[in-house]
Amino acid sequence: MAGEILIKPDLQFVKRVMAAGGDTVKKCYQCDTCSVVCNLTPDEKPFPRKEMLQAQWGLKEVLSAPDIWLCHQCSDCTVYCPRGANPGEVLGVLRQMAIEKYATPPLLAKAVGDPKFLPLLIAFPMLLLLFLLKIMGGMGIKVGENLVHQGIAIPEGKIIFAKLFPTLAVDFIFVPAFFFAVAVLGKGVLAFWQDINAPHPWRVKVEGNLVCNLIATLKDILFHNRFRTCETTYTRATNHLFLVFGFIFLLIVTTWGFINEWVLHHDPPYFLLSPIKLLAMAGTASLLYGIWNLIKERQANAEKAGYGSYYDWFLIYVIFVVGATGLLAWLFRLMHLQILAYPTYFLHLTAVFMLFFYAPYTKLAHFVYRTAAMLHARMSGRGF
Amino acid sequence: MNADNKILVIGGGMSGLTAALEAAEAGSQVIIAEAGPYLGGRVAQLHRYFPKLCPPTCGLEINFRRIKENPNISFYTMAEVTQVSGSAGNFDVTVKVHPRYVNDRCVACHACAEACPQWRVNDFNYGLDKTKAAYLPYDLAFPQQYVIDKSACRGDCGQKCLEACAYDAIELHMTTKTLNFNVGAVIMASGWELYDATKMDNLGFGQVANVITNMQMERLAASNGPTGGQILRTSDQQPPKRVAFVQCAGSRDENHLAYCSYICCMASLKQATYVREQDPEAEIYIFYIDIRTPGRYEQFYWKVRDDEKVHLIRGKVAKITQEPGTDNVVVVAENTATGNKQSMVFDLVVLAAGMVPSTKASPFPLPLSYTPDGFVIQELLPPGVYAVGTLKGPLDVTKSVQDGTGAALKSLIALGRRS
Repeated sequence: MAGEILIKPDLQFVKRVMAAGGDTVKKCYQCDTCSVVCNLTPDEKPFPRKEMLQAQWGLKEVLSAPDIWLCHQCSDCTVYCPRGANPGEVLGVLRQMAIEKYATPPLLAKAVGDPKFLPLLIAFPMLLLLFLLKIMGGMGIKVGENLVHQGIAIPEGKIIFAKLFPTLAVDFIFVPAFFFAVAVLGKGVLAFWQDINAPHPWRVKVEGNLVCNLIATLKDILFHNRFRTCETTYTRATNHLFLVFGFIFLLIVTTWGFINEWVLHHDPPYFLLSPIKLLAMAGTASLLYGIWNLIKERQANAEKAGYGSYYDWFLIYVIFVVGATGLLAWLFRLMHLQILAYPTYFLHLTAVFMLFFYAPYTKLAHFVYRTAAMLHARMSGRGF
Repeated sequence: MNADNKILVIGGGMSGLTAALEAAEAGSQVIIAEAGPYLGGRVAQLHRYFPKLCPPTCGLEINFRRIKENPNISFYTMAEVTQVSGSAGNFDVTVKVHPRYVNDRCVACHACAEACPQWRVNDFNYGLDKTKAAYLPYDLAFPQQYVIDKSACRGDCGQKCLEACAYDAIELHMTTKTLNFNVGAVIMASGWELYDATKMDNLGFGQVANVITNMQMERLAASNGPTGGQILRTSDQQPPKRVAFVQCAGSRDENHLAYCSYICCMASLKQATYVREQDPEAEIYIFYIDIRTPGRYEQFYWKVRDDEKVHLIRGKVAKITQEPGTDNVVVVAENTATGNKQSMVFDLVVLAAGMVPSTKASPFPLPLSYTPDGFVIQELLPPGVYAVGTLKGPLDVTKSVQDGTGAALKSLIALGRRS
């Protein structure tokens, strides 16, 4: 034997895996069907069999294993598992716990995964926004030609969302929220990168240029080359791609809007057929199409691939609400329905805040950890 | 004789024959109803069987002789039990005997088969070859009597057979006969079917050439099989140099058979010796989750394991495809001892398919209690009804024989109580 390995089982860890939706983990009898049917795994030390074993035995270092992130939860393993041990679901739970492990503060990640805290998580941005409205009303901020901000009330006249939340106010909340999320994610992914490169018995050395490999990895991700090798949930890759491109378009729109506002001093709302508006429409459509199909697909495949955990669904619904309220607020504005447009816009901001501010704690954080893991796999010659 | 001394045995395989003979030799009147056209069941299809690894004739022939010599036994082949009513000591049983179209004047001269223009898939050889529509189930079939498969023998096919027969043995207008018996006890011994390997869509059976089942392997190795006992691959009739055995093909899998089929590990180890005896160069790979060698079979496992050309790899095969451009088979498995997922190419792949109780496909005409897997629960059977062998759970021949003797004794006790 090349050096002894002392394993330290942690019973509490196993119990937490089981409580978080991985209740089937102990059914695994290590037959190895999962690693064989998986189209994504490298051939050397394939997943998810070894992760199932680590989870079963309470070896919590599995949370810093890059392989749990190489899994895209195709659920091919779950479909063929002879014991109903649902490796796909279990690895999903491990990823949730890994996000929690690398998040600061971890408590917030726990809250995101626990339905009990949902009202609190919704109430926080709502109260924040209401508080902002209240203050702005009191300050007598001018929001139009002859209009002063009216506090918590539906503004009169032509619908301009800036009458409710002036761009400065939106930026005042969302720019810090955005940078907070970036900072937490950055801290987490750095710690993760350190962990996967730390000296331990299973370490694989990385080689090559970080930037070049990162670009190659991002290209891989952008076209979902890996994801598309899934069999059972093949359509999931396509729908996810729609979602990703929806996000990318809307990110461009937001940046563009930011530049318009602060560099070019050009206020929204924009002309209906302006390029920025068209891009926004395309982005929204793509996002909604993607998320709607992902929901449908999850429900259709629930029997075979598992329904997914509350943690998964939290993100799915937040994205759905972001898309739906964005679309509806726009439609209501065009229909001149003040009474509906402004509250919908308020909900939209609430949902967007939840999406960004909670990003390091929700499943959304997967995009940094998975990117890091795929980069690591590429640089350590694991075929990614 | 009244019902009190009569026993109906359903199934004429090894367990049923044993139960019938033991009871008859103890003085009971026994009726055997066998669904197939011959007695001997699955054992007759094997090349060799445990524990002595002798050919099936060595156990079956003596039983057939005991039947011939014993006036207490009457048997019906192609017989289906359609109705059972009454209670212990007094069962009314209806048996439908399906037409064989050949009567007992048949001397098995083969003239009808030679004249017969039509072919049928040979189920005795698990579809590996075809026979004429007029056929003898296998060379040593008991009774030595041909059968005409009417579903395959259409048009003037029957007439041609009839004309060829010099013994007036063919009766094309034979019909289903309904027989009624009054018996005191019923022994169910209808055995098992091989699990349908096409249901495992990732193992390629029926799609990938040269992927066969373990029972097909028995037929390939048997001297009365489709290749005269030479193990040849099905696509090109070449002897395989590299053979893989895929254990738990359907067994221990809640998507297929949730239970361990008990015999497949030993069957594969045994079949490894078939290949090794025929070709000293042949390499064998056995992919397994656990090698299970119940009872005293451990030593046989040691013997096979110590053969340097036999490689036991711990890791289940979950993907089987055709090697592009050839008839070879690609098998994917992870060797869990080394943690490497490998694709290996083989000439022939044998799926160690499992056992399904026959009552799953054709339920017994009595409301019985079954396990979720379809096995009969002995403890919940009505008084006077006994189940034997693989109906209650996967079992090997030795244990089935012992169980048959046990059932005979239980029936005798049940009859004795009432007389």
